[in-house]
Amino acid sequence: MAASIRRSIPHVVMLAYVVVILVPFLFVLLSSFKENNTEIALHPFGLPKSWEFGNYKEAWIKAKINVYFFNSLYLALTSAVAGVLLSAMTAYALTRMRFNRASSWIYQFVLIGMLIPGNVLFIAQYLLVQKLGILDTHWSLFLPYTAGALPFSVLLICAFMRAIPFELEEAAVVDGMGVFRMFFRIILPLTVPALVTVFIVNFLGNWNEYLLSFFFISKDALRTLPSGMVQFRDAFQLNYALVCTGIVFSVLPVLVMYAFLQRKIIEGLTAGSIKG
Amino acid sequence: MRSTLKNPYVYMLFVLPTIVLYFLFFIYPMLTSVFYGFTNWNGLDTKDFIGFDNFVAAFKDADFRNSILNNLYILLFSCCIQVPLIIVFSLLISSVKRFQGFYKTTVFMPSILSTSVIGILWGYIYDSDVGLLNNILKIFGIDPIYWLADTKWALFSILVTNAWQWMGFYIVLILAAILAIPKDIDEAAMIDGATGVQRAWYLTVPLIKPIINVVIMLSIAGALRVVDIVLVMTGGGPAGATDVMASYMVNKAIKYGDYGYGTALSIIIFIFALILTALYQILIVRRQERVEY
Repeated sequence: MAASIRRSIPHVVMLAYVVVILVPFLFVLLSSFKENNTEIALHPFGLPKSWEFGNYKEAWIKAKINVYFFNSLYLALTSAVAGVLLSAMTAYALTRMRFNRASSWIYQFVLIGMLIPGNVLFIAQYLLVQKLGILDTHWSLFLPYTAGALPFSVLLICAFMRAIPFELEEAAVVDGMGVFRMFFRIILPLTVPALVTVFIVNFLGNWNEYLLSFFFISKDALRTLPSGMVQFRDAFQLNYALVCTGIVFSVLPVLVMYAFLQRKIIEGLTAGSIKG
Repeated sequence: MRSTLKNPYVYMLFVLPTIVLYFLFFIYPMLTSVFYGFTNWNGLDTKDFIGFDNFVAAFKDADFRNSILNNLYILLFSCCIQVPLIIVFSLLISSVKRFQGFYKTTVFMPSILSTSVIGILWGYIYDSDVGLLNNILKIFGIDPIYWLADTKWALFSILVTNAWQWMGFYIVLILAAILAIPKDIDEAAMIDGATGVQRAWYLTVPLIKPIINVVIMLSIAGALRVVDIVLVMTGGGPAGATDVMASYMVNKAIKYGDYGYGTALSIIIFIFALILTALYQILIVRRQERVEY
């Protein structure tokens, strides 16, 4: 008896923790279906009286969540793909091609980037995109997002590519294969696990990024979800039901992704922090 | 054989785009930061070199000193309260077999979400009229608290939100280290009659010290990086009660166009980060022997 109580203590504590994590989401989800603040204030914990699916339509179109959503989606996708491709190419050249001296210099040089905390460069990057004349365009996010991912991505893909046996390429060279085909046909397919990890980490980072997207973009039509949501909250401060729908829209895609790829996501994000 | 993998043009083609982008968005901003930090540039007039004036001004600036203090609170909160809790939770998760995966995925979940959206979400929970927290307090007959508008509570509220978002991340880091410890050590102690708590405290914790150090280092770095959540939830207010160095810097530069002063502040943040992590390395990490199983 005493033993079984003792064995259940960890579960009780952890379940309490899980409740603390999940209750805010549940509260937001329920609120998003409620009619207005009065109903939320009167029945904060209850189910909505009538399920207001109209909130979702209203937030999606009238509050322009759809615009933010697609901006986020395509920026996060394109810069993650660009980051993966660039760092794979670089990692290939650094680890597989025979320029050892140059490669080790370039590798060290790129790794310095991991020492610099992101927001330290914020003002200088702001002035840079201003100077480049791309402030208030999507380039001002695409370029820093892609560049920001490079150090970690190069590091991770390099580590992976070093483990591929050289005999593979020697055989390919004997068969008369060129560098490009070797890269695309042999090395890239073998590196897919690392590429997927890097892609996920970059995608999530870009999807969630707030600071640059809020200050580099001022046109409403170009905003991404994190910064658009803040704008949206400030505009609809009094209508929490609608704000909650916005939260659901921006959180749901990530959670769906997490449901399918949790192991990969956890592995990628933790690897990024320890090596960084 | 040699020539295919020794073609300098191909090499350049593969490496150059990365180097250009990296230089443009990392190295160049770093160099210009150092330059701007010593000027009084406000975006309009000429840039005059003013030596260390910005740095002197920063430490005389009461608002900035206040924000350093807030960063310090965050740092102390995460190192002295969060880290012990994180260790306890990871020990608890590692001690169970059933639901282990479920606990791990659930506690990790908030750390993959956008900090700005979490700021909005918690801003709603903290809302004085309709928020979840005051509704719970109402059940116990406690008057509503203005969590984010009261100087007494604002920083604490943000700290709780920050902990809510990031603790799971560190728990998973430590959990992985605990699960990597060979089982036979624990079994040997169990046969010798050590209780669960004894095994956790005298065996597991000493064995995971290296990863605990990593977590503390990450917490220090994280405490200095806090900015999104402050900007989203309070914007630094009320009356600077939640202003941190980074949020103060962003506001100075973007709102007031004080680029020279702002970049000086960012250099100060960078130096703080360097000093604190170096100090921790020298004082704590170096003194410990390496763990070998």
